[in-house]
Amino acid sequence: MKSNPTEADLPIAELRKASKHFGGVVAADDLDLTIRRGEFLSFLGPSGCGKTTALRMLAGFETPSHGDVLLDGKRVNDLPPHRRPVNMVFQHYALFPHLTVADNIAYGLRQLRPKLPAADIAKAVDHTLETVRLPGFGKRRIWEMSGGQQQRVALARAIINQPKLLLLDEPMAALDKKLRRDMQIELQSLQRSLGITFVLVTHDQEEALSMSDRICIMRSGRIVQVGSPRDLYDRPKNRYVADFVGKSNFFSGTVDSVSSTTCRISTATGQMFSGISTQSLTAGQAATASLRPEQISLTRQSGHGVKVRIVALIFLGEHTEYLVRHDTLGDFLVLVPRQSEASEGRFDLGADAYATWADGAALILADD
Amino acid sequence: MTDKIDYISREKFLAELMRYKKGSVSRRHFLGVTGLGLATSVLGAALPGLRGAARAEGSIGDRVVLASWPNYHDPANFDAFTAKTGALVDLNVFGSNEEMLAKLQAGGTGWDVFVPTNYTISTYVELGLIEPLDMSKIPNYDAAAFDPRFAGPGTIDGKIYAVSKDWGTTGMGTNTSHTNGAPLTSWKEFWDITRAEFSGRTTVHDYQLTTIGNALKYYGYSFNSVDPKELADAEKLLLDVKPHLFAITSDYQPAMRNGDAWLCMCWTGDGKQLNRDMPEIQYTLGKEGGEIWSDFYAVPVGAPHRDAGYALINDLLDPMVNMAETLFHGQPVADSRVNAMLSAERLADPILYPAAELLNALEFGAAQTLTNPDRAELMARFKSA
Amino acid sequence: MLVLPLIVVFVFSFGARGPAGGYAPGFSLENFMNLGARWAAFKNTMVLAPVGTLACAVIAYPLAYFLALRVSAKRRTLLLILVIVPFWTSILIRSYAWIFILGGKGIPALIAWMGFGSIQLINTPFAVLVGIVYGYLPLMVFPIYVSLEQLDKRLLEASADLGCPPGRTFLSVTLPLSMPGVATGSMLVFILLMGEFLIPAMLGGGKVFFVGNALVDLFLQSRNWAFGSAVAVALVLIMLVTVTAYMRATRRWAGGRADVSLM
Repeated sequence: MKSNPTEADLPIAELRKASKHFGGVVAADDLDLTIRRGEFLSFLGPSGCGKTTALRMLAGFETPSHGDVLLDGKRVNDLPPHRRPVNMVFQHYALFPHLTVADNIAYGLRQLRPKLPAADIAKAVDHTLETVRLPGFGKRRIWEMSGGQQQRVALARAIINQPKLLLLDEPMAALDKKLRRDMQIELQSLQRSLGITFVLVTHDQEEALSMSDRICIMRSGRIVQVGSPRDLYDRPKNRYVADFVGKSNFFSGTVDSVSSTTCRISTATGQMFSGISTQSLTAGQAATASLRPEQISLTRQSGHGVKVRIVALIFLGEHTEYLVRHDTLGDFLVLVPRQSEASEGRFDLGADAYATWADGAALILADD
Repeated sequence: MTDKIDYISREKFLAELMRYKKGSVSRRHFLGVTGLGLATSVLGAALPGLRGAARAEGSIGDRVVLASWPNYHDPANFDAFTAKTGALVDLNVFGSNEEMLAKLQAGGTGWDVFVPTNYTISTYVELGLIEPLDMSKIPNYDAAAFDPRFAGPGTIDGKIYAVSKDWGTTGMGTNTSHTNGAPLTSWKEFWDITRAEFSGRTTVHDYQLTTIGNALKYYGYSFNSVDPKELADAEKLLLDVKPHLFAITSDYQPAMRNGDAWLCMCWTGDGKQLNRDMPEIQYTLGKEGGEIWSDFYAVPVGAPHRDAGYALINDLLDPMVNMAETLFHGQPVADSRVNAMLSAERLADPILYPAAELLNALEFGAAQTLTNPDRAELMARFKSA
Repeated sequence: MLVLPLIVVFVFSFGARGPAGGYAPGFSLENFMNLGARWAAFKNTMVLAPVGTLACAVIAYPLAYFLALRVSAKRRTLLLILVIVPFWTSILIRSYAWIFILGGKGIPALIAWMGFGSIQLINTPFAVLVGIVYGYLPLMVFPIYVSLEQLDKRLLEASADLGCPPGRTFLSVTLPLSMPGVATGSMLVFILLMGEFLIPAMLGGGKVFFVGNALVDLFLQSRNWAFGSAVAVALVLIMLVTVTAYMRATRRWAGGRADVSLM
């Protein structure tokens, strides 16, 4: 790779107004996305949101119906997958069952023309096996490997050609929770050490939040919001994002007033919420207040906040999650950290309490 | 049954009927080639619902199984038999006497009547495979009416084991459009032209008796020879001819009809049928001689529907029925009562009734010709060479 | 019960021909010594059975590939039925069509009409081969079709993704992974061809002779059951040896994979 500073600033890949139609179905609609060199980007959304189609357009398995796909600044719409410097870790891995682990990993290198010397290939395979922490497994057969090991083989096979983009299609969906957690950490460190741009597709928000530099939230074939995990958590563009990224309580109401810094809404029963809004709103418009469970506290002292009754609780160790019921606001979640429990004591099921939150703590979101 | 003219007109009617039917009856397919005549074993038997209820006329059951040869019976006669008696005729078609013998030796054929050729009967009797016929059940058989030359082999040690069905010859069919209109007249010509102008155009029977017999005739040996030296000569000839043959098959009508084959070893009935439809195909006998044969009806020991079997034989020997049969299959019959009803034109047909000097040179197949292991093995070697 | 006929045949093979044909008890190796008399039949079978199997595979593979990977699901069902339907009719009847097509009024007439001279097709080994391929094609198409149908299509994407062009992907992924189907089909066709007698009898005009024809003759015409049994024993032995060798070879080739089943 050339170390040209201007080139390094160029995005490694781009989708420009890229759409994909399958018959009458719009799988991807007008996607605009810039993928930065060396970043870890995740496509997050429920199944059918278009995230896999976006990934497949980058890989070359789908040609956009409209718009363009760019790799390293060049339009690659018509470049078939086998000519793109992009590799993929497939869902369920798609390892070649008739080849050994080493032959699976060497597969990409063997396609290079002029052919590489066998010794070089063997060396690269051994090295890559070490990278994915499977040294000495080369002679094994695929079906002799566990799920986690197969995942590493798939990873090794995809990184050996040092692709410009490594695409990962729900790579951890088949792993159990503990293994998934380990693998997430490993993938992240691998991405750092290899310096390859990773593009992950997942429906697991926790996975996306924990691994990604940036997350692209998708819904119904469209991109809803792109940003860092923190951005998305703190400044969700709408209720959909807020709901998808982390847990939140939503209270519907009408905008009372809008100022440069805060927005105020009231619910039908007169309850008021205020806070910043991530979109421009006008008075009288329907809107939703979003309050994260950790932004609400519980107290026994009357006169504070609103009176609620504890209807369920889940002890989570560091925190306790309470589901509380209010006469007019309905049920919502409150996350109480252990140290505040120390001062207020535990709340029992069926007990009365008062829920409070700081004025201006809510996020005011447009309904969508 | 007094006015002869009336019978002739009836004959003409039947001839028309036969002509009408002849296109539809080619079951020759199964012949020889497959060796699996039994495979054709009858669907009707499996579909009792298709049959009418058994009629009166004694109770002979609803079924009779006949093992016979292809194109050898008028289906209308079977239909009439079924209508009269209620017994459905199951026809199993075979391509050689060897095959029939093999089946009977293996046992469990289920046949009630079958059609052996003259030279096999003594063997069947020796092996105890057929029973002396109960002539009281075949009143239509009038021994005096039958030419003893053809009916004789059915009687062994004074007992009648088989009654005469018909007779015929084995000659050659020549497509004369390839010989300037002249048919071949000798087995010498037959084998020589096959290795010359007719290379790739000749068929011989898939049947040791005639193929070896007619090869023996090339040297002037007996058709029935089992002499090792003579058989060795015949084998040499056959192996020499084999690359020039179009096919070794007893199912030669299709190839003759579509022009692939120009010359075939041929039985009377086939010769008659081919000549009728394609006059350029002429049936002739080899002047050195060759085979004359007669076929019979016989009842295997242990026939499951014995009464029905006798009833069928008796019916087929009714001169009226037998006349319909001969008009259908084109072989002459030995029953003078039938011949008395046939037209003079037909009785003068040289295919059916060859000239006396040609006929005199012919030989009946001998019993040992059928069972001789050397001939059987010679034929097998010839085929697998 | 399954091996009883085999035992009978084995015992018979040491006996002799009965005086009027059939079987006479005895013990001699004479029948086996005489096997050379059927050399041509063995040779024809040993040549045409593998060649026929190969020809079947070569023709069936593209057909199965097309059906499994190149046709929409809706049309696939129809086309699959079209492949099976001829199989419902007897091979005897279907062979008759070929007797006409390959006969003098068929293809040779066409070739002569085009001015390429006269050739004979019917009653030649070529005609038998055509009949074999035609008759056994469905038996070959289906196992290959099934293995291609079950092929994980993402493996093809994975190959492309790793830089492998389509042609090479076929050779390095599709073909090896569909080999179990080819092996199953070949085994079925080969075993049946070794015992074939109808097609050579019909399209070979009695001139292209298989061991199966020798057996039909020995049991039904010359009625030499003892020798026929010896020929059958020899045929079974040849089949056992070739099939075992073939299974060994394909298993080694498949790298001892447990899931490569041949039948």
